[in-house]
Amino acid sequence: MLAPPRAAEVAVVQLDVCDRCGLCLPLCPPEAIHLELADLVVDPTTCTGCRKCIAPCPVGALSMVPN
Amino acid sequence: MPNVDVLVVGAGPAGSVAAGEACRSAPALDVVLLERDRAVGAPVRCAEGVGDAGLREFADPVGAPWVARKITRVIFLAPDDTEVKVAERDVGWILDRTRFDAHLAAQASAAGAELLVGTEASGMVRDPDGRWAVSVRGPGGSTTYRARVVIGADGVETMVGRWAGLDTRVPARDMESCAQYVVQGIKFDPDAIYLQFGEDIAPGGYAWIFPKSEGVANVGLGVVALKSDGRNAKQYLDSWIARRYPRGARTGYTIGGVIVHTTIKQTYADGVLVAGDAAHMINPLSGGGIVNAMKAGRLAGRTAAAAIGEGDTSARRLAQYHEAWMKLLGDDHLKYYRIKQALEHLDDAFFNGLARTVNAIPEGKRTLGRIFAQALVRHPQMIPVAARFFV
Repeated sequence: MLAPPRAAEVAVVQLDVCDRCGLCLPLCPPEAIHLELADLVVDPTTCTGCRKCIAPCPVGALSMVPN
Repeated sequence: MPNVDVLVVGAGPAGSVAAGEACRSAPALDVVLLERDRAVGAPVRCAEGVGDAGLREFADPVGAPWVARKITRVIFLAPDDTEVKVAERDVGWILDRTRFDAHLAAQASAAGAELLVGTEASGMVRDPDGRWAVSVRGPGGSTTYRARVVIGADGVETMVGRWAGLDTRVPARDMESCAQYVVQGIKFDPDAIYLQFGEDIAPGGYAWIFPKSEGVANVGLGVVALKSDGRNAKQYLDSWIARRYPRGARTGYTIGGVIVHTTIKQTYADGVLVAGDAAHMINPLSGGGIVNAMKAGRLAGRTAAAAIGEGDTSARRLAQYHEAWMKLLGDDHLKYYRIKQALEHLDDAFFNGLARTVNAIPEGKRTLGRIFAQALVRHPQMIPVAARFFV
């Protein structure tokens, strides 16, 4: 089976800014954000680049990067 | 691979009450309560306000060491800073969540639950015998607990619900992005909570001042990012504090998300119950969730204990938890949600006008009910359950 095409841009968490509040996690439609040893991490293979997590971060720790 | 009857993930108000209640319902059960952070109740991600009647169902606040302040007044601030004082008796309390959560966890422990701090659930799969095998990492290393019932009380990120295949996602319009400072050395009425609305102050939400003691308060706000002008919650808060309390010392800060949605469609699965913020059991109008979480935890603990006693932890049996919750508060939240949607169409001019109208009522007679009566004259769509607004 072919893997789905990867998004041109994906979200990334800046861990030095992130406060680990977990707010972004339920906002992600494909559930691409998860916890990895208490760090929030975006899976670039399932992130669709929809940006729904970007603005709600209370401290602006999420941004888009080329995939 | 220890076998347990009930594994509770998260030692906040929902989880600790659930664990304690499961033990009290069936003292022979093995109940384990996991807390990811190294201390129960820290870091605080909460404004710490709670209504009086709801709190008293679970603990007596008078003289308790986990109370910071009794609140007897609500002061609404219109967008143009017009103050509207509302005198109510026994409005509520500002908690010290670090101590309060520890108190609830200690009660669970006294009832017989095993409390493990610094211990995180990292995934779970269902064994052929119907138990959930939950991978757990803690100070002593990694292990797997095999549980008859897992109670997910793991807050806004709600991993247990996701692992169990439940839909716990939140639409962006129903997520309040919050930021809060503890501000010290400022002047305000220490017996009142302050709430301010305003499109430029906290679009889609409100800003608050919740007193911790004289001169010290939780000062924060929540915004819906879709309505923001491009600033994030912390930037909105910095502007608000710079205007109101430029000389206050910001001695701490916290951020977090408050889900102002309705209860998830299904709060249970085979061998799984989800409670509190994890199941979106927050009053969508006020953003309050502490008492809701404890009430849901109590139902979850009882349901888990009874289901285990009957030897049936299937989704069909556990659905009784969902039904009981919806009857208790979930259906009310659907009504509050509709009021929230109605409020979204009101602008600053409406709130400024309402504040002046209400201030014409003598202060002693200025109850929330009368305020809403005034509001309803202008906006009849807000009629249902309007008086039970903020606590």
